[in-house]
Amino acid sequence: MTIAKIEKLDRLVEATASARDARTGSLWRQSIRRMRRSPMAITGAVIVGLFVVVAVVGPWVAPYDPTAQTWGREVFLNQNIFPGPRAENWFGLDHLGRDMFSRMIVGARQTLLVGVVATFIGFIAGAFIGGVAAAAGTFGGRWGERCEAVIMRAVDVALAIPMLLLALSVAALLGPSLRTVMIAVGVAQIPIFARLLRGSMLAQAHSDYVLAAIAIGVPKGRIVVSHILPNSLGPVIVQATLVLATAIIEAAALSYLGLGNPDPGSPEWGTMLADAQRFLSGAPQLAIYPAVGIIVTALGFTLLGEAMRESLDPRLRRQE
Amino acid sequence: MSPEQTEPHVPAQRTEEPDLSGAATTPAASPLLEVEDLKVHFPIRRGIVVERTVGHVQAVDGVGLSIDAGGTYGLVGESGCGKTTFGRAVLRLEEPTAGRVRLGGDEVTALKGERLRRFRSKMQMVFQDPLGSLNPRHNVDMLLSEPLKVHGVGSKAERRKLAVETLDAVGLPKSVLERFPHEFSGGQRQRLGIARALMLRPDLIVCDEPVSALDVSIQAQVMNLLDELQDEFGLTYLVIAHDLAVVRHLSDRVGVMYLGKLVEEADSETIYENPRHPYTKALLSAVPQPDPEVEATRERIILKGDLPSPANPPSGCRFRTRCPWAEDICAEVEPEWREAASGHKVACHFDL
Amino acid sequence: MALLEVEDLRVAFGASTAVDGVSFSVDEGKVVGLVGESGCGKSVTSLAIMGLLPKGRGRRTREPVQAAAAEPVDSGLKVAASAPQAVAASGGRGRRGGADVQGRAAFDGTDLLSLSPAAMRRRRGKDLAMVFQDPLSSLNPVVPIGRQITEVLERHRGLKGDKASKEAASLLDRVGIPDPLRRLKEYPHQLSGGMRQRVLIAIAVACAPRLLIADEPTTALDVTIQAQILELLKDLVETEGTALLMITHDLGVVAGICDEVNVLYSGRVVESAPVRELFRKPTHPYTVGLLGSIPRLDLPIHEPLTPIRGSIADVIRWRDGCAFAPRCDKVAAPCVDGEPALVGAVHAHRCVMAEEVA
Repeated sequence: MTIAKIEKLDRLVEATASARDARTGSLWRQSIRRMRRSPMAITGAVIVGLFVVVAVVGPWVAPYDPTAQTWGREVFLNQNIFPGPRAENWFGLDHLGRDMFSRMIVGARQTLLVGVVATFIGFIAGAFIGGVAAAAGTFGGRWGERCEAVIMRAVDVALAIPMLLLALSVAALLGPSLRTVMIAVGVAQIPIFARLLRGSMLAQAHSDYVLAAIAIGVPKGRIVVSHILPNSLGPVIVQATLVLATAIIEAAALSYLGLGNPDPGSPEWGTMLADAQRFLSGAPQLAIYPAVGIIVTALGFTLLGEAMRESLDPRLRRQE
Repeated sequence: MSPEQTEPHVPAQRTEEPDLSGAATTPAASPLLEVEDLKVHFPIRRGIVVERTVGHVQAVDGVGLSIDAGGTYGLVGESGCGKTTFGRAVLRLEEPTAGRVRLGGDEVTALKGERLRRFRSKMQMVFQDPLGSLNPRHNVDMLLSEPLKVHGVGSKAERRKLAVETLDAVGLPKSVLERFPHEFSGGQRQRLGIARALMLRPDLIVCDEPVSALDVSIQAQVMNLLDELQDEFGLTYLVIAHDLAVVRHLSDRVGVMYLGKLVEEADSETIYENPRHPYTKALLSAVPQPDPEVEATRERIILKGDLPSPANPPSGCRFRTRCPWAEDICAEVEPEWREAASGHKVACHFDL
Repeated sequence: MALLEVEDLRVAFGASTAVDGVSFSVDEGKVVGLVGESGCGKSVTSLAIMGLLPKGRGRRTREPVQAAAAEPVDSGLKVAASAPQAVAASGGRGRRGGADVQGRAAFDGTDLLSLSPAAMRRRRGKDLAMVFQDPLSSLNPVVPIGRQITEVLERHRGLKGDKASKEAASLLDRVGIPDPLRRLKEYPHQLSGGMRQRVLIAIAVACAPRLLIADEPTTALDVTIQAQILELLKDLVETEGTALLMITHDLGVVAGICDEVNVLYSGRVVESAPVRELFRKPTHPYTVGLLGSIPRLDLPIHEPLTPIRGSIADVIRWRDGCAFAPRCDKVAAPCVDGEPALVGAVHAHRCVMAEEVA
């Protein structure tokens, strides 16, 4: 009799315990679970997903060749009054009589490429610099502290230069090309990533579990790589998502200033925006399409980044 | 003065200090841990461009004690008394400014680099915050096998076997190996912390406030566990805590710290029944007992004021600013660390 | 009639129940303790009485969490609640969603829970005041403490200028802060933890409230400072006749200061008795377990402790049986046969096996 009742007790305990399974799994998995419930993350993910799909399959689904001046004659005859949206050209035509819709779709790839590569450059170089500085400062003794100070002062100097100016200088050095835009925007992001990772790592370096690792006798290099670094990456990854948005805008700005890809054969949203500038009063739609494209994409990445920041935030994590 | 004190690595300013070596108290049993006149001073730095040292926080200022193999030494004191710094300095997690630490005949304070790292397998630590001291991204398997891995112990299978054995010893099932620290309750996390400290089968474990972050009902579980493990693994403990009842329950010998110095040391029975230092008396009288009858009749010594700054400790006896019995001599002369009765040391001018 | 009468108080955060029908009363000049471990609902109870919980009926709910698993809820709230002004000011600060509060908390006949936020604000500080666990985050770091005290005096007692400063100084003197005139100009970070807690108490008693709620007022302090603060609180109750609701996890503090004790577990009172009665004859196995878990200075050394097994995560819902059953050594069939009732008048307990246990 009693035994049967105790079984009931076990069942009841299990029933209440299973209501709490939200706390199981690794922290990464928990973050993903939280993101799946966030409307912000879903909106951002949908936008970004759509953008990436378009960027990947763009050239194959574009209804026309984005570089062919198919309706050039029509535009010329109309004395630069460009036809707006119509059945065969959903977004209308540009000043050379090319299909805007196709150009937008194919241009997405370039835009994504610029954003991703630039962010990647900034992330890798910045994280390396910041990581080395933090590791040296934490475990390098007196010398390490000095190295850290020198590196970080250099980073501070770089931070003090306006990003666009830095990008412009790089672009001026390398000449206008897509590669230039990527490198310029990427280099401008390096100090941000460096500072962020260093700060994040220093905070972790003073945590109890790092002290515990030292007490166990874990070698310094291993402490940095297996304890401090994985726990410091959260904010940096969030920043990378946010930087992707900025990088796309920056790249557009550089292209707009004429430092982007001079090759008319590969459309790019920033260059399209720059080209549209001349016809802004007569045909604002030419500027609106790429501008909206850039804004919505940047918004998508920003939403995703913000949602990630929230789901990785340790203060929120504890409350769950 | 013991001959060790004149060794070259000890700075000269120490020679005026009273003999603080605890080695003489128990000549019969061989002490596992011997700490002599340990000091940890933190520089106070000012200036933005050019840093200069404007003073020192004397977190630990000449503490000596010894712990017999298999014994438990309880170090009690309030926040800011330097007990945590002392514990960390013993394990070389904090660099001692002066003094020496010997563990089983090896001089811990003389070790450097790789030798020190290797030596850490003999001395381990249990932390106050069980969640904070466990890497949130490592599961239990990684957590427990890491100490073995970094000391090159065993194969993967052997490490896992040892992890399961140790989990069993701390009362956790094998099934937790794949789980992460945040999936456990506070008490279970502390068991994990203890298991990790046990993995290398150390001689000494420094427990820094091992139960103060836990709920009352869980505290008793962990204290009982520490007791059991001591017998099972032949451990020697240095228990650091602010809770006198916890320290009394766990320890054979108790030292009371105030502002970086030991003020009293005795067997735990003696120190609670017959405290000699005014600070110990006040501490004991301040602990509320879970018994209304006792509480109603208990005489309290309410200390005035707060702990003075360890950067600028009072002259003479450091406790004199709050001591109800302080006299002129207390401000002028630092009391000697003397043996007031057999095995009962106290740093006070008076026999109270 | 009691000064404060709490009846069937229930607080839920979304689907998670933090307080599950708590009733108790506090008489004038008496100290009543709410005792329990993290997640038992003691802090939430006090915040609900003070009207300091973010209101949020009908907010989006989170996934269901059981009452005892509400440990994070409790601690999360403590963070938010440690700055009283901030909590009072924000209707729904943080993304937790609001608290759904039900029941009655009659203060001198008026139900506090049904008061408008403005009416509650007028009473808070004047009729009832609260002291929090963390004195540093409860004080505004950029305002001198003198200003923080005179602000209360101005708002509730209409004192201005010199008069207010004088009163503030005498309050600091009252709570045992030496050299009060100089201290008035200092900032919270310049004071020690004990001093800050004294300042908070000074602010709390500035308008001679009839009820003072102290939420773990000494937990963050050292024992010698704790003794000072407890003396101060006791003195307030004795000389001013203030009613004190003491929220703590420390049975030693309870034994020293309380007249009546309510032991909470998983959001409900499991035992309630006059203090001597409770310690002399603890009835609920949880109370017994708590007392057995504490090492005592006045008992023979190395007396083995008898801890409670498991953790607060091992719990069942009250409507299915006793929430403590999974951890109870005396558990038997009737324990999981539906809701156990609180039985007894002066010394009440919520254990169906009490007769057998005794």
